[in-house]
Amino acid sequence: METILEAKDVSKTFVIGDNNQQTILKSINMQMKKGEMVAVMGPSGSGKSTLLYNISGMDRVTSGSVRFNNREISSLSEKNLSNIRLNRMGFIFQDIYLLKNLSIFDNIVLSAYLAKNESRDKINQRALELMKKMGIAELANHDITQASGGQLQRVAICRALINQPDIVFGDEPTGALNSKAAADIMKILAEINEAGTTIMLVTHDVKIAAKTERVFYMLDGNIVGENQLGKYKESNNDSQIREEILSNWLRKMDF
Amino acid sequence: MLIKMLKKDYNRKKSITITLFFFIMLSALLVASGSNMIVELSNSLQTLFTKSNTPHFVQMHAGEINQSEIDAFTSENRHVKSQQTVEMINVGGSNLYLGDSSTPEVSSVMDHYFVRKNDSFDFLLDLESEVIEVDSGEIAVPIYNMQQNNLEIGDNVRVAGEDFEMKFTVVDFVRDAQMNPSIINSKRFVVNEEDFAMLQRNFGESEYLIEFLLTDLDQLTDFRNAYQSSNLPMAGPSVDFPLFQTLNGLTDGIVAVVVILVSLLLILLAILCIRFTLLAAMEEDYREIGIMKAIGIEQNAIKKLYLWKYVIIAAIASITGYLLSLFINPLFTGNIMLYLGTAEKSMLLSVIPILAVSLVFLIVVSYCMLVLRRFNKITVVKALRSGNIGDVQTRVTFLALSKNRLGNINIFLGVKDVFQRFKIYLLLFFVFLVCAFIMIVPINLLRTIQSPSFSTYMGIEQSDIRIDLQLSDDINQDFNNMLDYIENDRDVEQFSPMVTSLYEFINSDRNLEKMAIETGDYSIFSLKYLEGSPPLNENEIALSYLNSSELSKGIGDNLMLILDGDTREMVVSGIFQDVTNGGRTAKAMLPINEEAALWYEVSLNLKPGVSINEKMVEYSNAFYPAKVTDLEGYLTDTFGNTIDQLRLVTILAIMIALFIAVLITALFTRMLIAKDSQQIAVMKSIGFTLNDIRLQYATRTMSVLIIGIILGTIIANTIGEQLVSVFMSLMGASKIEFVIDPMLAYFLFPLLLMITVTITTLRSTASIKNTSIAEMRA
Ligand SMILES: Nc1ncnc2c1ncn2[C@@H]1O[C@H](COP(=O)(O)OP(=O)(O)OP(=O)(O)O)[C@@H](O)[C@H]1O
Ligand SMILES: [Mg+2]
Repeated sequence: METILEAKDVSKTFVIGDNNQQTILKSINMQMKKGEMVAVMGPSGSGKSTLLYNISGMDRVTSGSVRFNNREISSLSEKNLSNIRLNRMGFIFQDIYLLKNLSIFDNIVLSAYLAKNESRDKINQRALELMKKMGIAELANHDITQASGGQLQRVAICRALINQPDIVFGDEPTGALNSKAAADIMKILAEINEAGTTIMLVTHDVKIAAKTERVFYMLDGNIVGENQLGKYKESNNDSQIREEILSNWLRKMDF
Repeated sequence: MLIKMLKKDYNRKKSITITLFFFIMLSALLVASGSNMIVELSNSLQTLFTKSNTPHFVQMHAGEINQSEIDAFTSENRHVKSQQTVEMINVGGSNLYLGDSSTPEVSSVMDHYFVRKNDSFDFLLDLESEVIEVDSGEIAVPIYNMQQNNLEIGDNVRVAGEDFEMKFTVVDFVRDAQMNPSIINSKRFVVNEEDFAMLQRNFGESEYLIEFLLTDLDQLTDFRNAYQSSNLPMAGPSVDFPLFQTLNGLTDGIVAVVVILVSLLLILLAILCIRFTLLAAMEEDYREIGIMKAIGIEQNAIKKLYLWKYVIIAAIASITGYLLSLFINPLFTGNIMLYLGTAEKSMLLSVIPILAVSLVFLIVVSYCMLVLRRFNKITVVKALRSGNIGDVQTRVTFLALSKNRLGNINIFLGVKDVFQRFKIYLLLFFVFLVCAFIMIVPINLLRTIQSPSFSTYMGIEQSDIRIDLQLSDDINQDFNNMLDYIENDRDVEQFSPMVTSLYEFINSDRNLEKMAIETGDYSIFSLKYLEGSPPLNENEIALSYLNSSELSKGIGDNLMLILDGDTREMVVSGIFQDVTNGGRTAKAMLPINEEAALWYEVSLNLKPGVSINEKMVEYSNAFYPAKVTDLEGYLTDTFGNTIDQLRLVTILAIMIALFIAVLITALFTRMLIAKDSQQIAVMKSIGFTLNDIRLQYATRTMSVLIIGIILGTIIANTIGEQLVSVFMSLMGASKIEFVIDPMLAYFLFPLLLMITVTITTLRSTASIKNTSIAEMRA
């Protein structure tokens, strides 16, 4: 399998005030294969979100190299990075970051209109299909204030997928949802992954992480462990076992 | 906690605090300067009139006089305190050389009168406001000429005829309460008794000012009627004290009013800023306010905290503005000082500006209190739960992106945001509107005064050249010769002779009164009529605005004229504005009354391609001593001073407008970016580039600007025009229509504003670079 994302000796230092620096990522080495679905776990403040932003080009690394689709992106211009985000990457956040003054449908099609790869008719059609798949088709003309948190997170997923990205990053996408809604979202993500999209999730939830292929464990700015769970298949009916394996491992990792 | 909040508030809003400070300071400064100007103006006027002992009624007369008849009239009329007849020698422009100039003042529209020092009143003053006395060979020159010809003490003035020459040295400049303003086309030069006699011998014809001081100015109308129904000389216009006052104060009065108007607009902007910041601050502090209330801090204490902040800013700004005005005042009052002289520093002078500034302060503070009343609506529970005070409800479905076929997505988003959250953009909108207004009104006014058609507001038909013939013994002969000459001149396209004579009419008290009426063919050269139309048959008469209001005759009213002993019923056909000849004139098509003729004039248009200047020189020589003027020259000579002052105001207004536009745009954009940082971060996360987002912001300010400019222009051309008309009515011209230079008003200025605002927006949005989802987490 081809490598889609690779981080080598990545570090990130924040400058806070005049002589106060804080190194949040120390020396990160990791890689992801195309079509993989991985999770990043670790205690709060260990640097999970920072890792996600830095390897996705949303923030700039202090040192080290990040390769995406065999291209070094740590030194790309803002404009090129924007272009990659627009066409190749999708993002889902814990807080539902949608544009407040656009309707739900407009929020979804916005980035596709911006990318201008296809006609607007085609984009609209795909957006509708996506919304149907997520079970939110009837919300198209609604305000974002007229939908529940779970529904909005599905909107965010539709938006992340509209440009058919190679990879989707999720920073605790289910963090603000109840367990039923979280399970639904996870099911959708698994389906997307099944369809070929690479996915990287940051999560605290063992149930979520257990449905991924591989789990990284972060501590104090380093990846200190990795657990290969193997591809999850609903038909295998092994989620219970996977969760237990993972929990035991995490306990060992001092979680 | 209270102090912490204050400090936090300042740090968070340094720029808006500073802006607010600027607005209040600037308006305090202008209010102080403007009111200072008005007080100074009225003080100086008063001093000038007192020191010069200005007459209350003056009849100009060209021709012989019989002083004993005047004396008889004076001793009989109980209103007269004293009388004086001033003899003046009219030195034609072609005989007068000012400074080192080798060309005479032919093209000047002014009548240059040489006079002696007056005995009892109507004193001509020097720049120290002392009565002027000159020795033989010395001369005192009007301030008007000092400015126009850049004269200095020690320069020469030559009067030269064909076989005659006199040389004078300028020793002083004349402050002339009667003839100071450039709008009065007569100027007085003071010479010594001996030189006067010498001039008298060489320029035979004298003109006279028959001047009266009354015991009581309130009796002026009675007196004027008495004079006009007498048989005393009246071959010329009559003018009076109130007119001197108006004309002397006009130029600076207008400037003072504009200055105060601008300051009022600035107060309005300051108030809008306060509203904007206070509401934003309350929104941000909403939770904290709720918490403070929850822990039992009294509402009034919190309110006071906010109030104090603005009281302190307003107080410091007002005081600074006032102090600055002390330095700036000389700039504004320079013109007053020059023409009217300085007055004793009165109490009023220091008190009124302070009062005006205090008023600014009070307005600002009371407005704060008004806005702060919203505090009462904050309840603890609401504050802690929702965390905002009714953020503007947006109609999302309005202008849907996916239902819109056209164009650039960033421009679309920018426009959509403006329409959706227009309330937020109100401040910006209003500022742009005001900016457009204060740019366009002065330039329109300037263009209007500069345009040739402005003459029609002064009762002068619009023509290329005008020739005035003053009364002399063989005036009829001269006039007929002149008409023959013009009739045979193939360069002339059309011409129209007009004769102004005195006619008698029956006034409302059934008494006979006299009126100067101009007769001629009014279908040739056009004049703007306030109401109605020009007299086009023998029974019609048009009255000047002043005449019509004093006689209370409107369109369609009747006026009984006495013609050759018979009465003729005239119908008022139109009312026109006139600022010449004291403003009391009339026009009709009557048989010429040669005995009572006052002056003759001919208006004419040249064929296309004929040089006006060459024609003027030709006519000046041919018709000597008639006064030949072209309309443009007339306007620049008459309004030059006003135009200069107005140009200064215009440039100032444009600079203030641009400054405000830049300041508020920068401020507003920054605030908006801070407010919308999350939305910006979202857009960046899904692939919008920095330039995409900046384009959205530029579109927002630009849409607001365009709406602002359109509305500002409309308001400038309607309300602004009316406002200007009100001030111009002081001059006798009561309805001004703007002459609009579309290139400037509709293209160049808007473009200038747009470029400035766009650059400012783009510069202020550069900080978006640092906004990212990665920073969003707190
Ligand atoms: N922009 C920043 N400037 C300075 N410090 C930062 C910045 N972003 C993150 N940090 C710090 O880096 C550390 C790691 O933050 P990060 O959000 O990556 O943790 P996390 O593992 O995602 O935690 P959580 O599970 O709570 O989301 C924290 O101590 C945080 O304060
Ligand atoms: Mg995190």
